[in-house]
Amino acid sequence: MSDKKLIPDNLNNPDPDYWRSFEELYNDPSFVESSKHEFMDGAVDEFDTDKLSGFSRRKFFALVGASAALAAAGCNYRDKGEIIPYVHKPEEITLGKPTYYASTCRACPHSCGILIKTREGRPIKIDGNPDHPVSKGKICNKGHADILNLYDPERLAKPMKKMNDGSFSKIDWFRSDDEIMGIFDNANGKEIAIITHTIVSPTFKTLLDDFVKKYPTSKVYSYELFNEQNRVSAWEKSYGTTNIPLIKWNEAKIILSLESDFLGTEGNIIENTRLYSENRNVDDLKNFNKLYSVEGDMSLTGMNADIRIKLRPDAQLEFVNCLWNAIHDNNNELLKSFGIKYGIPFKKLNNLLKDIRSNKGKSIIHAGRTLPENVHIAVNYLNDLIGASNLFRNDSAEYSVSSLVDQEKLNSLILSMNSGNVAAVIHLDTNPVFHFPSDYGYVDAIKKVPSVITLTSGNYNETTALSNYVLPVNHGLESWGDAKTRTGFYSLQQPVILPLLETRQKEAVLLTWISGASITYSLDLYRNYLKSNWKNNIYPSLNSKLDFEQFWNGALHDGIVLDHSVPPDQGSIKSSGINEFNNIPPVSGYVLVLKESYAVGDGRFSNNGWLNELPNPISKIVWDNYASISMKTAAELDVKTNDLIEITSGTRTLKIPINIQPGCADKTITIELGYGRNNSGTISEGVGFNANIMQSKNSGLTPWLFTDVKVQKTGGSYPLAITQEFHAFDKGLTKDAAQKRNIIKEGTVAEYKINPEFLKEGRDEVNNTSLYPPHTDLKKSVKWAMSVDLNKCLGCGECVISCYSENNIPVVGKEQVSKGRDMQWLRVDRYYSGDPEDPQVSQQLMLCQHCDHAPCENVCPVSATTHSPDGLNQMVYNRCVGTRYCSNNCPYKVRRFNYFNFRDHFNNGYQLSPIFDLVFNPEVTIRSRGVMEKCTFCIQRIMEAREDAIRDDKPLKGSDVHTACQDACITTAIHFGDMNDTDSEINKYRNHNLGYHVLENLNTRPNVTYLAKLKNTDKEDA
Amino acid sequence: MKKTFLDYVLRVRLPITLFIALLSFTITYFASRAERDGIGYTPNQPVNFSHKLHAGDMKIDCQYCHTGVEKSRIAMVPPLETCMNCHKIARKDRPEIVKLTNYYNKGIAIPWKRIHKVPDFVYFNHSVHVNKGIDCTNCHGNVNQMEHIGQMNSFQMSACLDCHRNAISRFPELKNINYGPDNCFTCHR
Repeated sequence: MSDKKLIPDNLNNPDPDYWRSFEELYNDPSFVESSKHEFMDGAVDEFDTDKLSGFSRRKFFALVGASAALAAAGCNYRDKGEIIPYVHKPEEITLGKPTYYASTCRACPHSCGILIKTREGRPIKIDGNPDHPVSKGKICNKGHADILNLYDPERLAKPMKKMNDGSFSKIDWFRSDDEIMGIFDNANGKEIAIITHTIVSPTFKTLLDDFVKKYPTSKVYSYELFNEQNRVSAWEKSYGTTNIPLIKWNEAKIILSLESDFLGTEGNIIENTRLYSENRNVDDLKNFNKLYSVEGDMSLTGMNADIRIKLRPDAQLEFVNCLWNAIHDNNNELLKSFGIKYGIPFKKLNNLLKDIRSNKGKSIIHAGRTLPENVHIAVNYLNDLIGASNLFRNDSAEYSVSSLVDQEKLNSLILSMNSGNVAAVIHLDTNPVFHFPSDYGYVDAIKKVPSVITLTSGNYNETTALSNYVLPVNHGLESWGDAKTRTGFYSLQQPVILPLLETRQKEAVLLTWISGASITYSLDLYRNYLKSNWKNNIYPSLNSKLDFEQFWNGALHDGIVLDHSVPPDQGSIKSSGINEFNNIPPVSGYVLVLKESYAVGDGRFSNNGWLNELPNPISKIVWDNYASISMKTAAELDVKTNDLIEITSGTRTLKIPINIQPGCADKTITIELGYGRNNSGTISEGVGFNANIMQSKNSGLTPWLFTDVKVQKTGGSYPLAITQEFHAFDKGLTKDAAQKRNIIKEGTVAEYKINPEFLKEGRDEVNNTSLYPPHTDLKKSVKWAMSVDLNKCLGCGECVISCYSENNIPVVGKEQVSKGRDMQWLRVDRYYSGDPEDPQVSQQLMLCQHCDHAPCENVCPVSATTHSPDGLNQMVYNRCVGTRYCSNNCPYKVRRFNYFNFRDHFNNGYQLSPIFDLVFNPEVTIRSRGVMEKCTFCIQRIMEAREDAIRDDKPLKGSDVHTACQDACITTAIHFGDMNDTDSEINKYRNHNLGYHVLENLNTRPNVTYLAKLKNTDKEDA
Repeated sequence: MKKTFLDYVLRVRLPITLFIALLSFTITYFASRAERDGIGYTPNQPVNFSHKLHAGDMKIDCQYCHTGVEKSRIAMVPPLETCMNCHKIARKDRPEIVKLTNYYNKGIAIPWKRIHKVPDFVYFNHSVHVNKGIDCTNCHGNVNQMEHIGQMNSFQMSACLDCHRNAISRFPELKNINYGPDNCFTCHR
C-alpha cells in the first residue's frame, strides 16, 4: 500500500462500477501497478538466487548422486514395501470404500445431524445428515472443520496435575480420580461448582442430577459467551413465557433485520438460511422475499440485504419507536426527522413503511441479540402490530434441556469463591477465564479456590493455566451422547473412532466420580449409562413398537428419533408494556459492538487452521480480528486500514488495528471476539487481539454493546492479511477498453418481470473463432458442468471449508496469505458497488471454470494440464514442472501454486505431525512443492460414481455426482451435473435467462454458469 | 596428403567406440527392460503360500480370499481369519501352517512382501476392470500356476495404455467393451 493519503479529497468522484477496495475505487497507483502483475509483490522474493544459500547446485548433485549410489548398494531396489492385512477384518469395512455413521455435531449447541465419512476406520469428513429434521443434510463451516480439531496434534494426551512449582506433570487417570474424589469428599459443606456450556443432552442433565445427589453441595452453572438472554427476557415481559417461537422465514415477504445477523451467526443459521433462501428463487418471482437490514457494521445478513440502511446500534430503539409511530399512528413525521438526524434518505424509510403496510401478516421484524431488552420488547409489540404472529411456527419449537445461568447467580458464585466457600470448581470443557468479563474478577476468585479441575477436549487454554488438575476429554467424534434442541425429535451421538489419546469422555469422568471408585471406569461406562437412561426414561415415552435393542440400533443408525411432543404455548401478548420504550436515551460518542467471529466462534475453534484461513465473508481478512470503522470515522481519527487505535470503555482499553469497512455506520466500532488466545496452541497463539477484555458485566447496554467509548489513534500499524486484492481481474488495464468485462451481472426483480431476457440484451458479442480444433468428443457421453445461483449464494464460505476437507488443501498461514499464496481452490469474491459510504455488495463464487477453450492448457510446456472428453480441465501433478505459465494465462485466477511444501513450511512442519496423516482423503493426491493445483470438480467423486455405474451396469448419470462444495451449500446455490443430458437440472440452469459465463467474451467457453443476482428493489429504491 | 593419427582416430576409432557404446546401451536397455519393470520379481514371503495349490489345484476362486475386488478399487489381501477359516482344521501340523497359526494366535498381521504396484500418483481401480469382465490373469498372469507369487507383466503407464487403446482387439470375447478411457483424470487426480 502506498503512503498516499488513503481517502482522497475528491470523495464525490468515485468510480461507479464494482470495486473491491478503496485502493481500487480511487485508482490508487499501487493498485493499478499491482494489477499488471500476476503475483503479488514479494510472492517470489524468497526465490531470489542472490539470497539463496551458498550451497551450490553442483555440490547438491554430487551429494545426491553419492547418497543414491550408497542407497542402491545397500538395498534391494525392487523392494516395494509390505502389505499388512487385517487379522480380523471388521465386517462393515470394505477396503477402499467409505463407511458412513450418523451422529450429532457438538461444535455448537444447535446440535445438527451429521454423517461422518470414515475410511478404514478413521473419520475423514463430516457432512450433514439428510434425515435430520432441522439441518436437513447441511452443517456450518465449524461443523465441517471440527474434524481437524479431532486430529489436532496439540490436544492434551494425558491427565496433568499442577506441581508446587507451578509446572504440570503427568498423572495417572486412576490416581487423579482418587485424589479428586478425595477433594469432593472433604468438601465439608462447601460448594462444588460445575461450569459448563449449554446443556443439550437430556442424559447428561440426568447425570448432573446424579452428581448433585452424590455431592449435595455441587451446583451447575452453564453459560455461553453469545446468548439470547435479552430476547428471552423481552419475550417473557411481553408474552409472559420464555417460549420464543421459531420463525417461518420461508413465508415472510418482507424481512426487516435490526442489527441481526440471522444468516451469519445468530440462531440456527442452517435453518434460517435454508428457509430464507427458499424465497430467493428466480423461477418463483411471486414469492421472492425482500430483506431490509438496518445495522451498524456490515454483516453477512446486511451484505445480502436488498436494502441496507446503516445505523449505529444504540439508535435502534429510537428507530423502532419511530417505526411504531409511523405504523401504529400513521405519523411519518418522527421517522422523517429520524432519517434527517442519521442521514438516511427518507425514500428508503418510506419504501420500508410502504412494504410493511402492504404486506401485513407477511412481514417480520427481527432484532439482533446484541440489542438491549427494550428494543426486543418494542420489536415484539411492533411485530404484533404488523401481524407477524402469522409467521410464528407452531409445528416445532426450541427445546431447552436446561437454561443458562443468569448474571446474579454467577456473581454470587464469584462472591462465595472469594470468601472461600467453594471447595472445588470443575470446568467441563469450558474456558471462563477467557470468556468472562474481566470485572467479574474470575481470575482472582479462581485463585482462592483450593481445587480447580478443568476438563478440556483441546489442548491447554487460559483456564487450564489456573487449574490444579487438567483432564483431557474426548472429541465429539470419540463420544457417546444425545441431544434435544427442538420439540419433535431426539438426536443421538455415537463415536466413530476409539479415543486417539489417553482421553476419557467427560460424562464418563463424572460417572467415575459419582461411583466413588476410580476402577469403575471403562470405555463403555457412559454408553451403558446412556443406554439405560434411554431404556428407562426416553424409550417408554416414545411408544415404539420395536423392542428396545432393535429400537436402539435403529436409532443409532439414523442418528435421530422422532417423538410426538407438542411445542409449548408461546403465550399471548400483554396489553400493557408498550409505553416502556418511550424514554429514549440520547445518542452520542463512539459505540462499541462485540460480535461473534464467523470463523472461530467464541474462541472454541481458534486452534483450527482451516477456519483461521477462511476469509471473513465481508472484509476478506484472514487470521485476525480488527476494529471495523467507517470511512468518515477513519478520516476523523486520521487513520487508515492497518493503523492501530486504542479503544477505551470505562477502565478497559484495547489496542487493535482498524479496517475501514465500506457501509459501516459512523462512530461505530465493531470487533469480533474469539481471537487473542493465550496458552492455547501453535495455531491460535498470536492470532488477533483479545477483545473479550472489553466486556463488562454491567456498564454496557448489553454484554456486547457499549456506548460512550473513547477512541484515539496510537500511531504504529499492524498488517492485516486481506485476500481481496490479489487474484484481481485486471480492471486497471481494461478500464478504458470499449467492452465492459461483465464479471458481475445483476438486475432487479422488477426489471426481470418486465423483460426476462434483459440480461441477454446487454451481452457481449462472442467471437467464436478459435485457433484450435474443436473438441469432437465432448458431445459423446457426459459433460460435467456446474451452475452457481448468485441469488442464493450468501458468501458464507461453507463450501470453502468442505473443499479443504475433501481435497487435502494445506493451511499456509498469515504471512503466506499476505503474499498471495493461499491455496483455497474455491473462493468467494466480494465486490462493492456504488457509494463507498453505503455500498451495494455482490458475491461470486470463483473456482476453476473448466473452460472448453482453456487458456491454461495451451501454454503448458509439458502438457500437465489438458482437456478430458467429459469436459474437465485436468491437472496432472506428476507431470507439472511448475512453470506457472498456466496461472499466468488464466483469466479467472483460480490456479494455486505450491511455492513450498506447505505442510512442511507452515509453522515449522506443524502439519507434518503424523496424526494429520489421518485426516487426509486417501482418494486425493497430496501435492508437494513446485506443482500447480486447482479445482478438479471433485474428480474422485466422479470416478467413484463411474465405478458404481460400471458395477451396476448402468449408464453414468450427472445426478450421481455431488461435489463437496455442492453438498456443503446450505442454500443449494451450487448445482452440478451432466449438461449433455437435456432433462437434467444443470441444463436448465445453463440455458436460463439469467445464466451467464464470466468473461464470456474471451471465448473460453466455461463449464461454470452463473445465474445473475436479482435484487428485490423497486425503481425508486435504486 | 599424409594421414595423421588424428585422422585415424576420427575415422576408425571414434565410430567403433561410438558403435560399441550405442550397441551395448541398446542391448542393455532392451535386455533389462523386464527387470526394470519389475517382471519376474518373486521375493520370499513370510509364509510360504502357494497360489498354485489353492487357486490351481483346489480351484478356489480368487474372490474367495480377495473379497471386495468387485466393489472397491482395492483387491484386498485377505485378513488372517480368512486363512484360519480352513486352517483351524486343515493341515494344522504343517510347518507353514504352524507359522500361520502363530501369527493368528498372537494377533500379528503377516507382513506380506508387496509384488504388484502401480507407480505413485496413480489411482488404479480393480472393481471397474473386474466388473467389465476382464480376467485377473490379464495383468497378474497365471497365478494359479505359481508356487511362489511373482510379477508377470509390466505395471507401467505404457502397459495400461496399451490395453486401454486396444481394448476391442485385446478382448474380442467381451461385448460390453469399446475402449478404455485414456485421459489423465482416469488414473491421476
